[in-house]
Amino acid sequence: MISLKALTKNRFKSLLIFSSITIAVMAIFLISSVSHGIIGMYSKMIKTDGDIIITQKGISDTFFSNVDILLMDKIEKIEHVSSSYAMIVGASPIGHIPIAGIYGTTANHFSHYKLSSGGYPKKNEVILGTNIAKQFSTSDINIGNREFKISGTYSSEIGFEEGGVVMNIEDAGKLFNRSASFILVSCDSPSEIDEIVKKISALDSEIEVKTTQNFVKEYNQFKIIENSSFVISFLAFAMGLMGIASVMSMIVNSRKEEFGIMRALGKSRLFIIKNLFFETLVMSVSAYLFALVLSLGILALLPHIEMLQGYVNGTLSLQISLYVLFSTILMALFGSLIPAWIASKTDPILLINQGCA
Amino acid sequence: MIKVSNISHFYGVEQVLYDLSFEIKSGEFLFLSGESGSGKSTLLSILSTLLKPSKGELLIDGESVDKISNIDYFRQSKIGFVFQFHYLINYLSVYENIALAALEDKKQNINKVLGELGIAELSSRYPNEISGGQRQRVAVARALINEPKIIFADEPTGSLDSKNSTIVYGLLQNAAKKGTTVVVASHDMQIENYATQIIRLKDGQIL
Ligand SMILES: Nc1ncnc2c1ncn2[C@@H]1O[C@H](COP(=O)(O)OP(=O)(O)OP(=O)(O)O)[C@@H](O)[C@H]1O
Ligand SMILES: [Mg+2]
Repeated sequence: MISLKALTKNRFKSLLIFSSITIAVMAIFLISSVSHGIIGMYSKMIKTDGDIIITQKGISDTFFSNVDILLMDKIEKIEHVSSSYAMIVGASPIGHIPIAGIYGTTANHFSHYKLSSGGYPKKNEVILGTNIAKQFSTSDINIGNREFKISGTYSSEIGFEEGGVVMNIEDAGKLFNRSASFILVSCDSPSEIDEIVKKISALDSEIEVKTTQNFVKEYNQFKIIENSSFVISFLAFAMGLMGIASVMSMIVNSRKEEFGIMRALGKSRLFIIKNLFFETLVMSVSAYLFALVLSLGILALLPHIEMLQGYVNGTLSLQISLYVLFSTILMALFGSLIPAWIASKTDPILLINQGCA
Repeated sequence: MIKVSNISHFYGVEQVLYDLSFEIKSGEFLFLSGESGSGKSTLLSILSTLLKPSKGELLIDGESVDKISNIDYFRQSKIGFVFQFHYLINYLSVYENIALAALEDKKQNINKVLGELGIAELSSRYPNEISGGQRQRVAVARALINEPKIIFADEPTGSLDSKNSTIVYGLLQNAAKKGTTVVVASHDMQIENYATQIIRLKDGQIL
């Protein structure tokens, strides 16, 4: 196969195209998957823990939301409600750390944070996430000018929770001056969820009640991340693809002499185009696969990079992977075949002489 | 074999060939001579179908080149080329370079032709692994492989010493003796010793 020969014999050029395609594809993968990952983590946190979420009406961000925790008693009396818990999500300086996440929760939600040592917090006590625990060797800790006793450490599947602390919702309420940020409700029958949403809404005019599914879909913060990540990954994608196309066309131009010789020897335009097609295909598909493996490797490492405190996480969807694969191939072909087609129309001797230049 | 009628050529607005008409018969060894810039390469490229002339008609073997339906097959089967710079393909071995040019039924002759040119032992080497003279002989082998009716050579010895030049001219002369038409463009007056016909160009016109 003459096209494979061309690739293996011109190793430096091949390596150059290969690495630029690889880098372009990786940029696309990493940028889009990291932004999807962040959204995925937040959604997972909310979706796995309940079917319905209650927040303060008209508040765009859970950080500012305040709902009455006493609602829980009334909610738990509603038919098909199996359980509910309340949470305060806040951020504050902790000891010498300028800012960290604080999760205040009702005791029935403590089991979400798996203890790796010690016991769950009582009044004026906290447990520390695995990452933040590394920063403290004392038995007490200062949070928002209050002293808390450290009663244990926990780990969590959700990376960024390991960079925060968990305490009782009453303690968090004093820190952040509110009753609860939101209440999450679980039901025992999925078909009843809409009915329960209506019943809860009727309890209080100051609250907004949504299924967690809808909440995640409509949450402004997610929309912002999603839209900006879409723009950024689209730009990365466009730049990457343009890079691929321009590298390919440079390579084709540098091979005009060779194409001229082939034409002089009686090789058809189709012969040249066909070989270039295979060359480009082999090159772009292998660079794509290489980039895919590297990206998956990097994404797998991300949660373990301490500096990122578990905030950055990435998932690569099959849909994105396929989409990137097709566009990569398309751009590589576009970048190589069009100049090759134009070149193959030129008088062979002019091609040969252009190649000299 | 080749009939040139009223051919002129322009590069952009610059005219480099002026209304040339002549004929080359089968089996001739034509020497196209002239100073640098006189238009030898341009004329040779036109004669060999690698460049479309701005005006005029070219008949090869009785066929008008403009009207040939499969110009690729025509080039491959009827025409051989030797350029000043060998123009071998760098990622193909000597054997593969010749095989690339060879018609299917001529591939079996590759080793024989390499043997006749004294380069059989180089067949698996790459162009950058052999000497300039050897490369030029490979280029001649590539031109001969399909037993073409015409061989065109532009400064085939331009980058060779006189010993290697003599070898290349000898090879071309042999081909001519077997009935192949040979057209060589060159500064090298040594070719006069081999040529059976000479055309002298000056400023795009025949002297
Ligand atoms: N591709 C081109 N574009 C524009 N002008 C060209 C081109 N090729 C050749 N010329 C011009 O055409 C004229 C004839 O060039 P040509 O190469 O045919 O001469 P030549 O007789 O082969 O010269 P040499 O002996 O130096 O090879 C020159 O004036 C040259 O500058
Ligand atoms: Mg010349």
